[in-house]
Amino acid sequence: MANFKGRYWLNFDAPRSTQPLIYQMGKQFEVVFNIRQATVNEEVGIMAVELEGEREVVKGAIAWLESQGVKVEPVEINTIEG
Amino acid sequence: MSEPYFSSLKCRECGRLYPKKAVHVCEYDFGPLEADYDYERIKSVLTRALIQSREKSMWRYRELLPIDGEPTVGLQVGFTPLVKADRLAKALGVKEIYVKNDTVNYPTLSFKDRVVSVALSRAKELGLKTVACASTGNLANSVAANAAAAGLDSYVLIPADLEQSKVLNSLVYGTKVIGIHGAYDQVNRLCSEIAGKYGWGFVNVNLRPYYAEGSKSMGFEIMEQLGWEIPTHTVVCMASGSLLTKIYKAYHEFIKIGLVPESKFTVHGAQATGCNPISLARKSGTDLIKPQPKPNTIANPWPSALRRTDIMRCGPWSRRVAGRRMRRMRRSLRASSCWPRRRVFLPRQRAV
Repeated sequence: MANFKGRYWLNFDAPRSTQPLIYQMGKQFEVVFNIRQATVNEEVGIMAVELEGEREVVKGAIAWLESQGVKVEPVEINTIEG
Repeated sequence: MSEPYFSSLKCRECGRLYPKKAVHVCEYDFGPLEADYDYERIKSVLTRALIQSREKSMWRYRELLPIDGEPTVGLQVGFTPLVKADRLAKALGVKEIYVKNDTVNYPTLSFKDRVVSVALSRAKELGLKTVACASTGNLANSVAANAAAAGLDSYVLIPADLEQSKVLNSLVYGTKVIGIHGAYDQVNRLCSEIAGKYGWGFVNVNLRPYYAEGSKSMGFEIMEQLGWEIPTHTVVCMASGSLLTKIYKAYHEFIKIGLVPESKFTVHGAQATGCNPISLARKSGTDLIKPQPKPNTIANPWPSALRRTDIMRCGPWSRRVAGRRMRRMRRSLRASSCWPRRRVFLPRQRAV
């Protein structure tokens, strides 16, 4: 597996914050996910996660998360400023 | 300076220490890294008299900024006017109001000159040859101008559909402007990958711990300009939340090293209704901030925000400013003796 590592913040709104989306992502994509910290309640979930795998596969996993309504940001959050 | 007063980088979440390189995120929990200082040493050397003997720029507080040696970029930045706005105070029914007018900053007439000066001074110390940023306006101009003055190569990444007029201001400084196609989040992710891959100094990515500290200079100046005291109330536009937390930090640092007396103060964050995720979180009593992807406001919006925010630790009240009220405030400011673009301070004995 070519080593591409990406570090992201995932934002889950309700009702996604209570769904097993990380588990499902791991089943569908050949990516290693490493959760570094998380805060979850019924309204919102916020997770710091490292995704490792083939670059295209990681991008696919991100696209899938986004298709499920998860906001995926780099750990830097807003690199674009005014 | 013989020995640096800036000792290391420190994770804001877990407190782990890191060497003073172009790194910005804790490897353990992805918390942001911040500059850490030897305050005891600073206290032993930094006096009001020493500060006042120096040039009127942000660098007169250099011991509290994250560089090892003398500053090399943006030597004229800062010490912008703190304007007493009597007519505005009367219109709003408060005793005193001061406005920090950072629109006269040098060289690009923007607050960004402060943060970029620190980031590029540090970039030169780290031996970086190329600096970059992703911006839609002021930051791009400041990086382009200051990099040109410092003899650094620079790249400015912009959304591909940005208006030409906004790009021109950067192009005149000879920077390389790259338009990126993609949604906001895709562009964000691409920028963070570029910063990691090419070894460039991205001012608001891998140089962020240095860049962000530049904001403190505004707080230092306010205290000095008010006669070495902390304003009772400070109102700061929220944007990403960084300026507010750094002004708060600046006040505490001056107390810590004995340059101002300890006093009760509050830093207030203002957000426009329609794009006020931090204000809403505060109101609902949570520190979890839900981004508002579709802002509805006349203000230049900042749709997502700090997630585990230090803002709550700052103890400020975040206030919403409705669009109509915002227009009214702008009219009031125009009618008064000054026209600030960014922030209004309501110091001394008055609540907002």
